[in-house]
Amino acid sequence: MGKHSMRSLFVLFFKYSNMNLKLALEYKLNRSLIALAIFCREMIGVVVMFLILLRFLHIRGWEIHEMLFLYSFLFLSYSLFVLLFAGIRDFDNMVHSGDFDRLLTRPLGLMYQIISARIDFTATIGHGVVGIVLFMNTAFSVGIEWNWQNSLYYVLALIGGTIIQASLFLLSACFSFWAVKTENLRNLIFFNARRIAGYPLSFYPVFIQKLLIFVIPFSFVNYFPAQYFLRKDGSFWEGYLYLTPVVGALLFYLVFLLWKLGVRSYTSTGNSVY
Amino acid sequence: MALIEVTDLVKEYKLNVRKKGLSGAIRSLLVPEFKLKRAVDSISFTIDKGDTVGFIGPNGAGKSTTVKMLTGILAPTSGSITVGGLSPFKERKKNAMRIGVVFGQKTQLWWDLPVIDTFDLLRHIYRIPAQAYKHNLAMFSEMLGLQDFINVPVRQLSLGQKMRADIAAALLHDPEILFFDEPTIGLDVVAKEKIREFITFVNREKGTTMLFTTHDMDDIERTCNRMIIIDKGTKIYDGTVEDIKRTYGNDRIMVVEFGEKAEPIRIPGVELIDAKDNRMWLRFHKDEIQASLILNRLTQKYSISDFTVQEPEIEGIIRDIYLGGIHLDKSVSGVC
Ligand SMILES: Nc1ncnc2c1ncn2[C@@H]1O[C@H](COP(=O)(O)OP(=O)(O)O)[C@@H](O)[C@H]1O
Ligand SMILES: [Mg+2]
Repeated sequence: MGKHSMRSLFVLFFKYSNMNLKLALEYKLNRSLIALAIFCREMIGVVVMFLILLRFLHIRGWEIHEMLFLYSFLFLSYSLFVLLFAGIRDFDNMVHSGDFDRLLTRPLGLMYQIISARIDFTATIGHGVVGIVLFMNTAFSVGIEWNWQNSLYYVLALIGGTIIQASLFLLSACFSFWAVKTENLRNLIFFNARRIAGYPLSFYPVFIQKLLIFVIPFSFVNYFPAQYFLRKDGSFWEGYLYLTPVVGALLFYLVFLLWKLGVRSYTSTGNSVY
Repeated sequence: MALIEVTDLVKEYKLNVRKKGLSGAIRSLLVPEFKLKRAVDSISFTIDKGDTVGFIGPNGAGKSTTVKMLTGILAPTSGSITVGGLSPFKERKKNAMRIGVVFGQKTQLWWDLPVIDTFDLLRHIYRIPAQAYKHNLAMFSEMLGLQDFINVPVRQLSLGQKMRADIAAALLHDPEILFFDEPTIGLDVVAKEKIREFITFVNREKGTTMLFTTHDMDDIERTCNRMIIIDKGTKIYDGTVEDIKRTYGNDRIMVVEFGEKAEPIRIPGVELIDAKDNRMWLRFHKDEIQASLILNRLTQKYSISDFTVQEPEIEGIIRDIYLGGIHLDKSVSGVC
């Protein structure tokens, strides 16, 4: 019965992960099927895209492998997102079911608990395998030299992209503190932005470009990181290529402040779904 | 200093007033209109270390709201709370180390995993020393019969088993104070009994301070030395269970079985409330007339084959208090 240290929080995090793993193994067959279903669903999208692209040698200077490399960022970062931040994705539920009250009775930070307590291994695998398949088939045929600088950039961009998506979900989670169900609206916005981001940003009208840079910054999840490696279009500011981790950190920080405000409101007004 | 001190505690909920129609929906989004609902209305009390206190009151009285403020889930609208010198809300994490919380309606166990897995997680959450964990686990297992189902996934447990596991889970880290919100709701008699025994035992062995909310009077009679009655957010009684019985429970009911058919008899201070076959139900006030005197009068006319004297059920008394039938005199409301 002592205070937590960095170390003990780390140990506890793995304890939580272990619980989640057990949960996944508890329904091995069930979860494997779900993971397979997610894989197939996403893979169909990829294949359709592939077939469409196959009819062209390249579109506006983008070759098919380059397009799929761009696409791979979306899957890998989303896979990391559900691995690390499934608790944020499912946060609305936590508030509506009253489980959030329980977190408040524990000697731990709230965000820590939300992040540790839930890991969606199933979706991680479903999306992750698609990402890996795409990556393995493209990363070595689009002329990238995988030296340590590039590898480091790649990892940072992936983490940044993961955090950007976490921030978007956290933003929508904030509304559940004020009794607003945003789940549908969020899915509409998030998954459409993600779909748009499947193609190079330069294909779109300026309005959409601005939207994906400044409002729902999905372009930093895949377009600018891919652009860093491929250098296809010269129409955007060069600095964007390096901003993904910064955008991620800043966005998360801002949304986190709003979230804190939401917690304050929750603890003063009680479960809004009441 | 008392372990828990609550002074003029108030909690108001803001209720969104939604207007009808599309224009109404837009209007309430732009200019939100609130109605305030005062769920807890200026409650004060203190609780000493080792006390077992029952919070009783009808549905919607404000019991859960009070517990939520005591456990740091909700911030008070006004008034103050200290639990062992800490503000449960402002020093949430520190306070959390020292309390255990059981919500009767909401388990903290991992639904799809065996009970023991949650216990093991709690060991890390509260950083329980190995020795203490082992000792507590063994003790709780034995007393609550956990060993029968500790390796079974929670979703397969009966309500009673789940509640037993939940109570053990809340006590693993040896909290100084245990809060229960409706711990026996929906349980059968045997399960209730086991839980009550256990709670009494832990209170005695470990000196754990206990605070329950319930609307089951039996829970309180069996486990609590003190009772706080709240209704509509205000405290209407605070004292010992004995006190309330003594003060409001001087009525007795004597059930007499005669050897033959008996005619009603007039005895001053005794009221005949029912008669069936050879039996009679008589009500009297124990301070006004002694039971032996009544028996005496009865045996002068008839032979008596059996009799019992019943104390009033506290439930009935409480009901009377709610309904305003008994007006509480401040001077008798115990440690108020
Ligand atoms: N989150 C909430 N928002 C609005 N009103 C609430 C909320 N929680 C409880 N109430 C209201 O506050 C009052 C007290 O509720 P509660 O504390 O749950 O009572 P009890 O536990 O004694 O049944 C009730 O009238 C209830 O309707
Ligand atoms: Mg309640």
